[in-house]
Amino acid sequence: MKVKMTKREVPFNIISCIILLIIGLVMISPFIIMVIFSLERYANLQPPFPITFSIQEPSFFNFKIILENGDILTAYINSFIVAIGSVAINLFSVMLAGFAFSKGKFAGKKIMLAIILATMMIPFETRMIPMYLMFTKFGLKNNFLALILPSIVDGFGILLVKGFFDTIPDSLMEAAQIDGCNKWQIFIKIFVPFTGPIAATLIILKFMASWNSLLWPLVILTDKSKQTVPIFISSFATENGSRLAGSTMAAAFLGIIPVVLVFLLLQKHIIESIATTGLKE
Amino acid sequence: MRNTTKKLRDHDNTWYLFLLPTILGLLLFTAYPILESFRLSFFKSNGTIEEFIGLQNYTYIFNNDLFWKTVWNTFYITFFQLLIGIPIAYIIACIINELKICKNFIKSLFFIPYITPVVASATVFLFVLHPSGLLNSFIGLFGVEPINWLLYPTTAQWGTIIFSNWQALGFYIIIILANLQSIPTELDKAAQVDGATKIQIWWHITTPLMKGTFRFLIIMGWISGLQRFSDVYVLGGAQGSPARSLFTIVGFIYERGFGSFEFGVASAAAYVLFAIIAIFTIVNMTLTNLKKEQ
Repeated sequence: MKVKMTKREVPFNIISCIILLIIGLVMISPFIIMVIFSLERYANLQPPFPITFSIQEPSFFNFKIILENGDILTAYINSFIVAIGSVAINLFSVMLAGFAFSKGKFAGKKIMLAIILATMMIPFETRMIPMYLMFTKFGLKNNFLALILPSIVDGFGILLVKGFFDTIPDSLMEAAQIDGCNKWQIFIKIFVPFTGPIAATLIILKFMASWNSLLWPLVILTDKSKQTVPIFISSFATENGSRLAGSTMAAAFLGIIPVVLVFLLLQKHIIESIATTGLKE
Repeated sequence: MRNTTKKLRDHDNTWYLFLLPTILGLLLFTAYPILESFRLSFFKSNGTIEEFIGLQNYTYIFNNDLFWKTVWNTFYITFFQLLIGIPIAYIIACIINELKICKNFIKSLFFIPYITPVVASATVFLFVLHPSGLLNSFIGLFGVEPINWLLYPTTAQWGTIIFSNWQALGFYIIIILANLQSIPTELDKAAQVDGATKIQIWWHITTPLMKGTFRFLIIMGWISGLQRFSDVYVLGGAQGSPARSLFTIVGFIYERGFGSFEFGVASAAAYVLFAIIAIFTIVNMTLTNLKKEQ
């Protein structure tokens, strides 16, 4: 990579680069001690304090303890089922609605869009109790559907997709209509093939949100065999935290790995998605 | 007249089929729960037996010291988080923006804490905030005595503030960077010709232009801060230990709803949270708008 710099810029770049790298190192230092603790053979008996940034006796013993009782594997599978289900149902519903709001002409369009936007501001906690009672009544407590189904309504996703379809000229739609295509065919054959980047954004954000969520799973999944990764980690940490430092860190490590791998693979796209959408959570 | 008939012909009811999943979802998972939660807030209920008690749930909450404590805790943590985090992120983002080398690598370094699951990173922070943990080793470099962060209320709250800033800093930086890049460079150049220094340009031209971004970060920060739960649940447990100092509004809703099954009280608290978020969003928007007009 060639970089052009004027003479005055060289010292500024080097100095600020070094300072930011040091701060950046501080930022990721918690992860470094996480790795050290989890690989330290006797960290469960005696946490390796004071912190030294070196491993006395490297071993996978702490991971073995975590993996042997099998709960984390179940939690992993559960989290994947929930995340994939949520992403699929969300994508399906949001693409259809975004298309209708962008290209459709029908009575009540503006009002419906306004209602969807207004409901985005209502915090989940306000809806949580009736949703718990409703899912329990339908026998869906401890069922992943209770976590997956609510992803069907997503005002933010609709806005994103609508904005994206708005950039595709209406003339494309009119031309296809003249050729005798119906709306469904136009949507599937002409519009969906364009949606690669916006779909990737939605998949990434929704997957991460699902993988991270704690409160709603904690409420609806009380059965131990149904717990997701965040529930597993938090219950392991509160039960054993200070006693089994090594294995607690190993559990956190295993919870972080999939997200960090996805991030390293799709770094640019993820940063861009979050920067343009401004989405948190 | 011709116009209206054309319009009518364009309207097409099959569009509603495209909206069917969203409409169903809105009815089942938004409209019904919001109304039902409002109804429940006037009832004494454990899920099976219900009794209308009027405003008693609300008066109970407003007279409950623990509830006010959760409001205070939630506000305190979020206020200082934003007060400290946004300026630091702004300065770092401005430096990154000027960099010509290792820009993306540094961006990623700051961003990794934000993308890691909160529960996992808060678990790691149990050992960062440990009496002989990472934070104390760090402040020890500057001669500060070790602190038992998670043992005392105030230090536990500050430990949470440090955690949430560590976690959110990358998000602030990315948002600020995206907006910095959209500032036209002509202004800078004009000021440079007029003899302004880089720092002057930064403070008098760039910073005022970023008002909209700060407003966005503050509003988003308050909305998510008021709903704080996951990190304090890991750092302080369901009780928000020590001495309820990490007990938040959502923690209160969770405890009353699913610890003691007082669905009426929990629903009323959830509505109070809703009202607080709405008021905060409106106040934030009008305050920052007024400044803009002046």
